Amino acid sequence: MNRADKIGYGLSGALHVGVLFWVIAGGQWFFPKPNEPVVISQVAVMSEQDFNTMMASAPKDAPQPTPDPVAPTAPDTPSETTPPPETPAPEPQAKPEPEPQAMQQPDPAPDAQPDVSALQEPTPPAEVSDTPPEIVPPVEEPSPTVTPDISPAPKPKQAPRVAPTPAPEPPPEAKVDPQAQPQEAPKPADTPDQPVEKPKEATAPPEASTEIVTEANKTEDKPESSAPLASPRPSAKPKPPAPKETQTAAAPAEKKPEEPKPAEKKPAETKPAPSEPKKVDSASVNDALAAALGGAGTGGTGSAPTGPPITAGEKDALIVDIKQCWNTGALSSDALRTTVTLSVDMQPDGHPIISSIKLVGATGGTGNAVDQAFEAGRRAIVLCGSDGFPLPPEKYDRWKTITIDFNPEKMRMK
Amino acid sequence: MMRFVLSLLAAVMLAPIAATAQDSEPLHIEITDGVIEPMPFAIAGFIPESSEAADMASQITQVISSDLTGTGLFREIPKSAYIQNVSSFDTPVKYSDWQAINAQALVVGSVGMQGGKVVVKFRLFDVFSGQQMGDGQQLAASPASWRRLAHKVSDVIYSRITGEGPYFDSRVVFVSESGPKDNRQKRLAVMDYDGANVTYLTDASTIVLAPRFSRDGTKVLFTTFETGFPRIKMLDVATASARLLPEVPGTMTFAPRFSPDGTKIVYSMEQNGNTDLWMMNISSGQTQRLTTSPAIETSPSFSPDGSRIVFESDRSGTQQLYIMPAGGGDATRISFGDGRYSTPVWSPRGDMIAFTKQNQGRFHIGVMRTDGSEERLLTSSFLDEGPTWSPNGRVIMFTRESPGAQGSASLYSVDISGRNLKKVSTPGAASDPAWSPLLP
Repeated sequence: MNRADKIGYGLSGALHVGVLFWVIAGGQWFFPKPNEPVVISQVAVMSEQDFNTMMASAPKDAPQPTPDPVAPTAPDTPSETTPPPETPAPEPQAKPEPEPQAMQQPDPAPDAQPDVSALQEPTPPAEVSDTPPEIVPPVEEPSPTVTPDISPAPKPKQAPRVAPTPAPEPPPEAKVDPQAQPQEAPKPADTPDQPVEKPKEATAPPEASTEIVTEANKTEDKPESSAPLASPRPSAKPKPPAPKETQTAAAPAEKKPEEPKPAEKKPAETKPAPSEPKKVDSASVNDALAAALGGAGTGGTGSAPTGPPITAGEKDALIVDIKQCWNTGALSSDALRTTVTLSVDMQPDGHPIISSIKLVGATGGTGNAVDQAFEAGRRAIVLCGSDGFPLPPEKYDRWKTITIDFNPEKMRMK
Repeated sequence: MMRFVLSLLAAVMLAPIAATAQDSEPLHIEITDGVIEPMPFAIAGFIPESSEAADMASQITQVISSDLTGTGLFREIPKSAYIQNVSSFDTPVKYSDWQAINAQALVVGSVGMQGGKVVVKFRLFDVFSGQQMGDGQQLAASPASWRRLAHKVSDVIYSRITGEGPYFDSRVVFVSESGPKDNRQKRLAVMDYDGANVTYLTDASTIVLAPRFSRDGTKVLFTTFETGFPRIKMLDVATASARLLPEVPGTMTFAPRFSPDGTKIVYSMEQNGNTDLWMMNISSGQTQRLTTSPAIETSPSFSPDGSRIVFESDRSGTQQLYIMPAGGGDATRISFGDGRYSTPVWSPRGDMIAFTKQNQGRFHIGVMRTDGSEERLLTSSFLDEGPTWSPNGRVIMFTRESPGAQGSASLYSVDISGRNLKKVSTPGAASDPAWSPLLP
């Protein structure tokens, strides 16, 4: 609205100024100047004989020009003969008069004002249009325009939502003050003003403390749950057992403590009574998942990899860790031309499952060289994996299984 | 337009599937560089099964340890660090104890005497995989050959761990030198690869040069000056008897080398001021001229399959390396680097050629592919020359001579990686080594 008003003001002012300027000065330029009045004289037609006689009778001193001017005296029709210069004159005479009126018609053009004036009550445009347009409105308008933009800012004022809670706490500040004063009493001896301010500072902290308290609680919780941050994802793990409980209400209650593997088969035995094979299937699937999870050790969801992917930095850290143990010094030259790919299953704590290390593929070498290259790679995994690899526990699903290409390209004798 | 919209829709619909498939794949990484360092291993002692085998057991243990550590590929963990005390050959291995001291390989063995022979038994364990590497083995030999027994054990361990062929149980024939440089006495000698058991094959009455083993290691070809001119002799290692090979009067023959099958020799013969390569059938004495260039061509060496010969020639103006068919013919130059190339020797594995290179006043031992590519210089000194390959093609032995009037020649060995350069122990000055094949 305000912006429209501003535009309206601008337009109306500009138009008014333009109209006034045109009305005042435009006439001088655009109005056709009225032709000077034409003196009309009658001219008589004389015959050739009369003319000759006249010329003959007239004294010779009289030059010719005179007779020409006399020609105008011939009144009647010659007006058509002389007309070229005069004929335009009568037409302009008709125009000049209507045009000045037409010039007043432009006034209705400013009638466009009504559109703007309709939005703006003030009719002053005529007066204001002269001077005000630029300076006055900008000063007033910006403030309203800014406020709407800043309107989102008030949202952050949600902080005041927190403020209200600390507000009630100030009373306890009064409680705190008395306690603080006695302690600070000895200090104020020098400057009593400052100690007074100090208790105020003490009041401020409580406000902050109210906020911090909430964060502090979180932070207090964090240290306990920070490491398990991965554990909340394992929460997906307890979910599967939940359906079991719903399916077999009584039996599972006893088996809960033995959630792992044995409990899985027992419900299957108890279930034959419930005649829903589908449920059995889902249970078996859950059992399989639970078994898989149990086999993998603690943690882990067992589901498809979820969560953030392994970052390049995390990969690099793993590479750096393994390559420190990849000793190619004792490899044969054939083995140094062999690239082997090893697969290893990992425990959630970052330790490799040694028995799971297997050769996935090899290129560039013979059987014996492949064996040597495989052994060197396996040694690297075992050696550096003994302390656990630097992998983010919360992304365990991403590195439950790792495949590693041991490419000795840079280790060859050159 | 319609196609574009359809393809766009398809891409949008398939993107999640592709992402899911990618997410479900295991974490994959590639390691392209590692570390090069000796592998730590432990020898839990070769336990003597009888009191009379105690000394031998100790010596065998020492030789095995020396063999493995001498390669530069292994590092023995001091016995003081051992946690488990292996009291008998059948004592179960506590892998955790050996893992704790970072032993990656463990050797457990015993030495006994049976029927007048030394019997050695041993097992090799991969500590971090917690399993035995290969089957245990038992070797027997006369007490005099106890070193060979130790080398054999070392070869098995070395081959199982590295994948390389064995080479410890081999010998080296060389020229033993004595006396000042201006009156150097030279004679042929043979020794174990590690410098032990030196045996002299000739006396010092004449100068001998460039000995070369036959493929079976029973014979040695060398150049002698006993007639005043260089001539080729063939010596039987077992009996130390030698005979001159047939010659053409007025010629000089030198730089001989056996063909892989041992039936022929290729050598250089100087005739009328021109030196060319010739081949001789050992049994018939029939000769064949292989080159006809006016240049000096010498130091021929057969490829392992006997089909080609690499040699040096100055036909291009400087000494360079060439390869030609074993029967002669067009030769292909393979060396193009700066300096002079000489004494080429084909690797037993056939993939590389070792050579001597002289450039800017320095001598180098180097290797290159048979096509001349991937040239690598392994050494650099005042004078290095005459490389010879170990039976497995992994180590090169050569002559290094120190400068000055008091300078002398010594034998050195180096891994073809350029690492583990070390001096070979010899009784005195030594030169012109030639590595034998692996002993039976």
